[in-house]
Amino acid sequence: MTAPHDPPDGPRRSGFSRRSFLKGSAAASVAGAGLVAATEPLAPRKPETYGPGEHEIKLRVNGQDRLVKVETRTTLLDALRDGLDLTGAKKICDRGSCGGCTVLVEGETVNSCLMLAMDAVGHDLQTVESLGENDPLIESFVHCDALQCGFCTPGMVMSSLACLNHRGQPTKTQMAHDLSGNLCRCGTYGRVMEAIERTAKSGKPAGKAGGR
Amino acid sequence: MSSPREKVEITVGYRSLGGQPDRLEKRTVDPEAGDAPPWDANTKMQHVGGDHSRVDGFAKATGRAKYTFDVTFPGMLQAMILRSPVARGKLTGLELDDARKMPGIGAVIALKEIGSQVRFVGDAVAAVAGSNLNLVRDALEKIRAAYDAESHIVDYLQSPDAPLLASDGEIDAEWPAEPEIEAALAAGKTSHAATYRTEVQTHSSLESHGHVARWDGNDLEVWASTQATFGVRGELSRALQARGLDVGSVTVHAEFVGGGFGSKFGAGVEGLACCLLAREADAPVKLMLDRFEEHTTTGNRPSALMQARAALDEKGVFTAWDWRSFGGCGFNKSGGRVAFPEYYVGKAKTRNKHQDIAADTDPARSMRAPGHPQGFFGAELFLDELAAKAGIDPLELRLRNDDTVIRRDQWQFGAAQFGWQQGRAIQNDPKARYWRGVGLASARWFQLGNAGRPPHGITCRIHQDGTVESRSGAQDIGTGLKTVLTLLTAEELGIEPKLVKATTGHTGDPSGPGSGGSTTTPSLAPAVRHAAFLAKQQLVELAAKHLGVPVGEVTCGNGTVGKGTAQLPWAEACKLIGPNPIEARGQRFNNYREPPFHRGVCGAQFAEVQVDSWTGLVKVTRMLGIQDCGRVIAKKLAESQVLGAMIQGVSYAVHEQRIMDHASGRMLNGDFLRYKIAGSVDLPELRCIMHSIDNGHDNVGAAGLGEPPSVAAPAAIANAVFHAIGVPVRHLPLTPDKVLAAIAKRKA
Repeated sequence: MTAPHDPPDGPRRSGFSRRSFLKGSAAASVAGAGLVAATEPLAPRKPETYGPGEHEIKLRVNGQDRLVKVETRTTLLDALRDGLDLTGAKKICDRGSCGGCTVLVEGETVNSCLMLAMDAVGHDLQTVESLGENDPLIESFVHCDALQCGFCTPGMVMSSLACLNHRGQPTKTQMAHDLSGNLCRCGTYGRVMEAIERTAKSGKPAGKAGGR
Repeated sequence: MSSPREKVEITVGYRSLGGQPDRLEKRTVDPEAGDAPPWDANTKMQHVGGDHSRVDGFAKATGRAKYTFDVTFPGMLQAMILRSPVARGKLTGLELDDARKMPGIGAVIALKEIGSQVRFVGDAVAAVAGSNLNLVRDALEKIRAAYDAESHIVDYLQSPDAPLLASDGEIDAEWPAEPEIEAALAAGKTSHAATYRTEVQTHSSLESHGHVARWDGNDLEVWASTQATFGVRGELSRALQARGLDVGSVTVHAEFVGGGFGSKFGAGVEGLACCLLAREADAPVKLMLDRFEEHTTTGNRPSALMQARAALDEKGVFTAWDWRSFGGCGFNKSGGRVAFPEYYVGKAKTRNKHQDIAADTDPARSMRAPGHPQGFFGAELFLDELAAKAGIDPLELRLRNDDTVIRRDQWQFGAAQFGWQQGRAIQNDPKARYWRGVGLASARWFQLGNAGRPPHGITCRIHQDGTVESRSGAQDIGTGLKTVLTLLTAEELGIEPKLVKATTGHTGDPSGPGSGGSTTTPSLAPAVRHAAFLAKQQLVELAAKHLGVPVGEVTCGNGTVGKGTAQLPWAEACKLIGPNPIEARGQRFNNYREPPFHRGVCGAQFAEVQVDSWTGLVKVTRMLGIQDCGRVIAKKLAESQVLGAMIQGVSYAVHEQRIMDHASGRMLNGDFLRYKIAGSVDLPELRCIMHSIDNGHDNVGAAGLGEPPSVAAPAAIANAVFHAIGVPVRHLPLTPDKVLAAIAKRKA
């Protein structure tokens, strides 16, 4: 199945995408089914009750288990920013339309403002804080001046990372497609693509060099 | 001016872009006593103008940079504002107690008195701070506000002050009688008249407006997403004292700012609310606007309605230029003025009338080159229509009328680089689906910086360990002030930029201008140099004493300090400094009294579009921008600003418009799903060429770059669409409905 706006020359991504997440959550009436259903067997689950009020959950962020207090309605973005002080992911639209809060969940880009923190339990989360200054992608962003005010940049970096991880040597069309969920008001798109291209050409793997 | 001034001869102007001669001139200037000697066109630079990277790029790209939105403190509360749902009326009731009683709510304050006027949907009524935003949202629902709504108008064209529009979109009103202009129009061989429109554009900064406020007794510390740290400081201090608060010190921080584009010069009601909530709750408070508030309460580029009529003589030179414009403003009826490129009509009889029209919406604010993208769209498209009538190539018409030497060179160079002639030779098959076209437009701005009152300053410190600090209390909103401080300081001291640490955005440091009107770099660059120059003199004195040579013979450069063979490496020289660093405060002197090479900056942009004649979709495929900004300091950063402005221009030309619901007075597309800004798939093949010019107006010669590159792009794109489809679309944005209607009109 090919969505109408997929680039003709691009392979479909594996796993869940933002699109399948949205479809999943729209179709499912079971709370929190969207992502969990993608990886867990469809066995009946023991009913659990949370809220009102806060409770503690464990999130696996950048390879570390972190405890954070959330309400059932707390988004992953708020849990990261307000609960764990991981403020790289930005809150810009809070409606899944700008990509400023992009993080990787099991290696796939997700708008963390559209995912409930509880739905992220049990998944590997990667945020921009995992990338250090020596990371080839970060180094390329700086070298190509792929940023101005910098507010969209962490989200751009994460979408760029996913683009590189999935495609290796992406074409311009593929890059534009993979960045199409990330808005930048300063107008850095061209230089972000140059940064992706430069990283791909360097042959060095991005997203592996340790940040925080 | 009691101190003696020394006259200095310098070379100003620029070397050929290619194809035209060098434009270099000798000029004698007289810098104020104590200022650093001027750089000129013959100064050899180590760092300035080079390909250095943005110094805070790593902090931003790794997410470590802490913007106001990211600042947090233990016990900090979050806050939101209750907004008016009516566009016009009176607040008749406000019950806050139920919200106050909620657990987790720290403070609830009224921002409007009962009986006062409500001016637009989104006008601030009350504010709540609580332990998290979910709770605060719950609390806002417990506030009971009542209004006496009055009838409103949110479309300025429906105002009784607005002129009537005929069904073809033309202003349906007589031009005011003036025999001279009528005579000049009649004297021309070719004449034309047409009406143009633009819609409201929101700034859409990605970091919304907002603050974090923390009181320590009567001392207030504020983190602000702002373009004017000192402006916010002054406004808050005044507003809090006006409310009877005993205010000690007020310190503002804005180390990183997520965009502003002209909307962030004041603390606003949200800043005041944040400080008042923090005082009442006795806890730090963060209040950041959400996206709907950002779209609807923080200003915008107002819409414009413009009508031009003009005539050309047999040589294609203007004999008359008659222009009237109307600005579609907010309730305060201000800020809608538009600008047009008057350098085309310098010899013609001209007239220019403007009228602002109020509507019941939030007030307009300055937005990147206020008045220019809208006015230049109208005027430059008008020029192309007139050129078509007269049978003159659009580039030729501009060359015949543009009286600016710099831009004439830019036109000719740009046309060759872009392939203008080939582009204009495109013959579109009327039966084909896709039609191509090319267009061009001009840009200008006037900013060469100013001294400030009292003068702006910069602190430069040289430490014993060889590191250097350059500090400004002004803010870097993404335009690269930190990089500018770093490169200028390194250049003046003759050291590597990595030894310099630039700090911006704390009001504890010397004052600088608000970042508006392209003022920051030209206003601060000479002070940065002056600070480094003064610090260098102190180091030179230490080195001279140590080396036993006369001070006047010691130089500092290429990483060493000394005379002849007696040289100390920079690190060794700095060891002569005691535990207290060398500290100098540089000053921004007035611009030289002699006229600069050019009083402002010039630019020219070219665009190529592809129009889908079936769907009406405009795709901008290629753009070229030639832009000067006086002396280029950080080349990569300057290019980024120009490229970014071109993309913003694409966005304004084909996507952006605020859509209001006339019945409720509410913005219908106050988000990023329906208010569309250009994304990665809209990106044309972009190229920009920085045109570095030595203006000779101060010791650096930088000119403003924020506004100028955003002036021409929408006009160039509109002209390219006119070329592609053969009829002008006189109403931005160039959405498919308008393009299809224009194509249908041509077929009819």
